[in-house]
This record gives sequence, structure tokens and C-alpha cells, in this order.
Amino acid sequence: MIDRAILLQILWTGIAMSSYFVLLTVAFALTLKVEKLWNFAQAGLMGISFFTMFFLVNKQGLPGWLGLAAGLAITVAAAVALEAGAISVLRRRNSGGLTFFIFTLVFSQFAAYVLTFLFGTEPETIYPSVMSPVRIVSGIAVSDWDIEAVATTILMLACLWGFLRFTRDGQFMIAVADNAKLAEIYGISANRAYILSGAIAAVFLTVGIFLYGSRAGVTPDVPLVLVLTSVIGTLLGGIGRVFAAGAAAVFLGLLQSFSILVIPSKWEAMLLYGVLFGALILFPRGIPGWRPRRVQTPAAPAAPAAAAPSPAEG
Amino acid sequence: MEYIAGTVILIALFIILAASYNLIIGYGGLNTVAHPIFFALGAYSSALLGIHAGLPMPVCILAGIAVAVLVSVVLAVTTLRISGDYLLIASLGFQLGLLELINNLEFTGGPAGLSAVPNTFMGERRGLIYVVICVLAASAVVWAIWRTMNGPFGRAVRAMRDDELACAALGRGLISIKILIFAMGCGAAGLAGGLYAYFFQYISPDQFQVAQSAQILTMVVLGGIGTTMGPIVGALVLVALPQAINFLQLPNSLVGTVQGLIFTTLVILFLFLRPGGLVGHTGSQSSHGAAH
Amino acid sequence: MDPVLRIDDLCKSFGGIVVADHIDLTIAPGEILGLIGPNGAGKTSLFNLISGVVPPDSGKIQLQGRNIAGMSLHKRARAGVARTWQHMRLFRTMTVLENLLMGPRDYPGESLVASVLGLGRVRRAERAAHAQAMGILERMSLAQTANAIVVDLPFGQQKLIGLARALMNDGRLLLLDEPMAGVEGSNYETMQRVVHDEAAAGRAVCVVEHNVGFIKDLCTTAVFMAQGKILQRGTVDELTRSRELTELYFGVAEEA
Repeated sequence: MIDRAILLQILWTGIAMSSYFVLLTVAFALTLKVEKLWNFAQAGLMGISFFTMFFLVNKQGLPGWLGLAAGLAITVAAAVALEAGAISVLRRRNSGGLTFFIFTLVFSQFAAYVLTFLFGTEPETIYPSVMSPVRIVSGIAVSDWDIEAVATTILMLACLWGFLRFTRDGQFMIAVADNAKLAEIYGISANRAYILSGAIAAVFLTVGIFLYGSRAGVTPDVPLVLVLTSVIGTLLGGIGRVFAAGAAAVFLGLLQSFSILVIPSKWEAMLLYGVLFGALILFPRGIPGWRPRRVQTPAAPAAPAAAAPSPAEG
Repeated sequence: MEYIAGTVILIALFIILAASYNLIIGYGGLNTVAHPIFFALGAYSSALLGIHAGLPMPVCILAGIAVAVLVSVVLAVTTLRISGDYLLIASLGFQLGLLELINNLEFTGGPAGLSAVPNTFMGERRGLIYVVICVLAASAVVWAIWRTMNGPFGRAVRAMRDDELACAALGRGLISIKILIFAMGCGAAGLAGGLYAYFFQYISPDQFQVAQSAQILTMVVLGGIGTTMGPIVGALVLVALPQAINFLQLPNSLVGTVQGLIFTTLVILFLFLRPGGLVGHTGSQSSHGAAH
Repeated sequence: MDPVLRIDDLCKSFGGIVVADHIDLTIAPGEILGLIGPNGAGKTSLFNLISGVVPPDSGKIQLQGRNIAGMSLHKRARAGVARTWQHMRLFRTMTVLENLLMGPRDYPGESLVASVLGLGRVRRAERAAHAQAMGILERMSLAQTANAIVVDLPFGQQKLIGLARALMNDGRLLLLDEPMAGVEGSNYETMQRVVHDEAAAGRAVCVVEHNVGFIKDLCTTAVFMAQGKILQRGTVDELTRSRELTELYFGVAEEA
């Protein structure tokens, strides 16, 4: 009934579409892992990032790479300012989870209102046109955008992996993520790791929203919906597993793509919220067996004392 | 006259919403953002009953409250096992998902909403009658919350907020305390929803967005979280203030944005400069009193 | 006499760490049983298993003949398990009296509806609890602190309030987690006297203490625990004279 070519087409488009989901989810999962922060302010950062690039490229006619560079600079600066100027203040005060949530969410709403004030509520795109040259590869339409998006995503994930694996700062970030207090005892600055993770997240957010905005229209309200996808991906991937969260984002992208075969497209968002809610109900502590593996098993305290005298019954 | 009545009614309804939201997050310590959806459930249930079944207004509003309470208990039973941040995310998913459902269903009128809510009171006294009803309702809700929180039940709630483990070890079922608080708060939101639908005779999904929780949260935070008077002061200030914007003669499309800007700016300022709110204590103590 | 608490073959482990290894234990009414043993022996874990903070892996916990092993924390409190905490866990925004009023097993006044309406039975229950609380405070000569915020009191008095709150539960089993640590002078004597009185009134008391001197002052019998096992039961003197046990405990670490 359904053509094999159609299925393959949906599969490919779904994979290409999930590229920005992956980047945005990795950004969210990274700050959650390192800072233990559900950073809804990332929606605001995405908005700032997108409208900077939209203004420079679409309105002023600058080339895309220049817009992207400017977007990166401004978003990273905003992320660092947010981290150093606000989040660290709340952290110092030992604020509760609700306070962080209020602040990050309200910051995003504030950014959305400012952007609405400046740019209105019409969907905008980075380039004046969202068309991209298409070639047919064994019966499947593959656009330049698809290839660029997938290649960029793979490249960025590889860079992040290498950074976390091989650089001192990357290893410090992992150490802080595991146990910030212990890391500080060993002379690692948790604050530096927090700011760094915020900055790296900003890079991923900018590239992610660039890809999104060069394919579909963005309004000031879109980033918050995108962050929700990140939240779902992060939950499905298992908290603390940044790359698994990225994989979960691919799953969500494919789920959305294939859902058009079964349900009308207006229910797509509903499906997403359903997955979010279901995942929380079924796995209130993350997907079982997907917990972060410990690098070292805890030392068995019973071992040395095992040679103690046998129980002397009185 | 109608304009003043409308403003007073909005203040009264937002006092109900802010006081009940404060009950849930301030007293109960339950981090949820799904408050506007219970406002919506009350509004939609009573409006739909009024339109299709032609039942009298009090019955419809009571039914709206019942629906809000029922749904809140279902949500609480399924999600209260989840704690802290997860509950927050679950409530966000619930709020967005249910609103999306209302947005896409036929019988709720979709994005266009419902506009034929029957008019119960005719004539020039209509506004005044609704003012009396809404002010009475708001007083009743505030009184009930104050009474609850200062009685034996409130003592158990404060004990739970201070130390959950010790409270449970003294024989208190924490889940049932939380479900009760949640149901009580959501029922109050349902009451506000029913009154809103009947007075304004028009409801649409836009009025119950998650942004609304930011607005109600602003009232709670600005007034003073975990206090009796805080939400009242917050609702008064934050409903009256945007009315002043109407005098600025801004183009209609900008009014919402400017109001939103004011709300969000106020929340951020208060979070950092006066975390205790207008009524609460000053100082850098967080809402949960983690001052060690 | 039937024991108040009877534990049969109780097991619990976290990951690879065994905190309760086939534990059998009985406590009779009027008995004050001390749990001693080195750090990490599983003493506080045993309290947590009895009071329901953590569920056991297997085994039976019978309170006056009724198996409570499957019950949740709050149901066990209602069944009659009263306990204190090493770090007291008092409700720090509340007054001494309010802390104590959280103690009774039955609290009709806390029903939401009754609370809002202020029914007669609520007022009666409140009055009864109030009288009971003041009675306990008077026994400790702390009646004058009733309306003080609990964290404003000196440490020793807070320890006593922790005990007083547990005593509001009129159940038969009383678990005291380091009741004496940091308590000095007249507070120490009060603690000792009240615990002895409660045992004399028929409660079964179980005490975790690190300081053997406190155990001697407080307890009639004691068990020695190590690595989640009960190694020996006897009088405090018998246990402290046992060579093996002193090596295990005192040889490793001098008492704190």
C-alpha cells in the first residue's frame, strides 16, 4: 500500500530534519549534565540568535556565513552574560529548583516579547528563500540543505566528543558534572566549567536554529516549542547522556516524520507532548538501564573486613 | 461603568488564580506550571454545559470546578510520585498537550474558541451583579485558603515543607496531603474559569496559554510567595497596572507585547532584588527557605 | 510476655553493600535495647528498615504480632513505630508546640474539610493533643519553651524536643537514634529519666549510640552489630568484656 520509495523518502527527510533537533537537544542535555540546570533560557538565546542572523542576512543582505559568525558571537556573549550575571547569582543563593525554572522560563518569555516588539509575529526565515537545490539519489529527493545539515551535525558532534574526551577543559567539565564539590576540592573551577558549557551550548543552539531557520519560518514563540523537543530528547536519552539525548532527538524527528502516514499533521505537536508525558510517567527517573555508567565501581568497603572472626553466638 | 466592572472582575478572578497557585507552589511546594489549564478546564466545561445543555449558571460553574478537580486528581496521582524538577516538566507537558487538544478538537471551537456562552443576567445591572459574585467568590477562596493553612491541616503542610521524611515518619501520608492541596488549588482555578466564561461570554485557547502561568506566577512572586496577602497584592497591582497601558493609546497589536514585557521584567527584577515579594521578608532567602 | 517487636531473617543490601544480613531480633515491653557496633555496622540502617524509610529485601518485621514489613513509612508510624533522628529533623519554621502537635498517630483535625469548617471534633482533638504535648513538655521541664521557634533553642533542648515529638505517638515501639550525643548536664539526666520512665510504662525502646558510656546509662540489654549482622546479644557489661567484640569495635576506633 505504501511505496518503498515513499518510506525511504520520509526516512531521509526525517533524518535531515532531525539534524537541528539533535544540535538543540545536545545543547540542552549538556547544560543539564554539567550545571544540573533545566535551562529553559536556551529558548531565549535561540530567539536572540535567530533574529540576529535573520536581520543581518535576510534584511541587510549579508552573506550567510557572516550572519552565522555574528549570530555565534552574540549568542555566546549572551549565554556567558546570562551565566555569570544571573544564574551564578541564583546558584550562590542556594535557590530552589522553582526559582531557576521561573527565571529561565521568564527570561525566554522576556526575550520573546522583546523580539515580538522589534520584529512582529510573522514567521521569518534566514534567507529570503527556503528553496534548496534538489537531486534525485536512487529515487529519493536529496536537497543541498539536507546534506549540509547532516554533515554539519555530524561534524559538530565529533568536535564535542573530541573536546570532552581529549581536552583538559572537557575532562574538567565531565568531572564537575559527576561531582562539582569533589571537582572543586581537586582544584577544578566549577564556575569555569559552567560558563564553558553555557558557551558551547550557545554554539550548538546557534547552528541548530540557523539550520531550522534556513528551512522553515521562525516566530518569537517557536524557540520555546523547540526547547520542549530538547527536553523530551534529554529525558528519553537518559539524563547525563548527552549523545544518547542526541540519538533520542533523531528518534523524535523520525517519529514526527512517520506520524504523517498515520495521523493528520495537526496532531503532530500533540504526539510530541504525549511522548513527553508518557516518558515521565513510565520512567520517572529516566529510561531504566540507561543511567550514566560509573567510570569506577564503588570500592567495596566490606572486602578488607571480610576476614573478621566468624559470628560468635552468645 | 462596564469597563470598571470588567477590571474589578478581572482583579477578583486573578486573586483566585494567584491565591490558589500560591497554595500549590508556595505552601505545597509543588512545582507545577499547569495552572492556566485548570482555569481553561473550568471555563470550557461550564461554557459547553451552558451552551449545549442549557443548565443554569451555578450548576455549570460547579460542574466546571468538578472537572478541574477530577482532572487535577488524575494528574496528581500519576505525577506526584515524580518529584521536583520532573514534576515541573510533566506539568509543562500536560499544560501544553491539553491546550493543544482544545485547540484541535471540533466541539471546543478550535482556535476560534467558544463565543455563545449564554447570558444569565440582562440589563444594566449585569456588570454589578458579576462584580458582587466574583468578589464574593474571591473572598471565599482566600478565606478558605487562609483558614486551611492556619488550621491543623496547614500545620501538616508546613511540616511537610520543612522536612518531608520526618513528616512521613510521624504518620502523615505525603501523597494524600499533596493531592488535596493540588485538587483544592485546581478547583479554585476551575471556579475562576467558570466565572470568566460567564462574564466575558467568550473563551479561546489563547487566553489559557502557558504564558498565563508566568503572569499568575508574577503576581505570586511579586506579592510574596507563601503568604496569604501576597497573591492579593500581586493580582491587584498586576491587573491594575496594564489597564494604565490602555491610556497610552498604543496600537492594539502592541498592547499584549508591552504587557508581557512589563510582567517579565517585573518577575526578573523581583527574583533578584526582592525575592520575598512585596509582602514577604526581604533578603536573599529562596522561596523554599533554603537558608543554611 | 510477647515481644513488641520481632524481626525474622531480615535482609537488605544496596548495590553490593549488605546492611542487613539475616537479622533476627526481639524486643520485649519495658526493655531498653542498645545497638552497638562500629561505623557502617548497619545500626541506623536497621532503624530505617524497622520504621519504613527503606523497604527490606526479605524477612519479617512484626509489631505486636502484626507484620509491618510491607507497609509504607507513614502507615508504620500509625501502626505504632515512633522514632527520633540522629539529626533531629525538627520542623524548623514551627514552634515547639507545633512540632509536638505533629506527633499523634490520630489527627482527625488534619482532614481538609474538617480543618476548613472547624468542626467540634477538630477542636476536641486539638485540645487533647495540646494537653498531651504540654504534659510531655512539663515532664522535661520545657513547658516554658512551648511557643519558641524550635531552632532557636539550645542543642540539648532540641534533642529533648525530638524525643518529646516521638513520645506524642503512643505506640509501643520507640526507636532512638543517638539520643545522647551532644546532650549534657541536666538535659542528659532528663533524657535518661524520661527514657527509663517510658520503658517502665511498657514501651519497648531501642537505642543506637556510639558512646558505650551512654549505652550503659540507658540500656538494660544490648546487641553488637557488624557488617549488617547481629554478632551477640547480652548485657552491656558482657558485650564490652567480650574479647572479639572489643577488638572489632574498640580496637579499630577508640570511642568518640
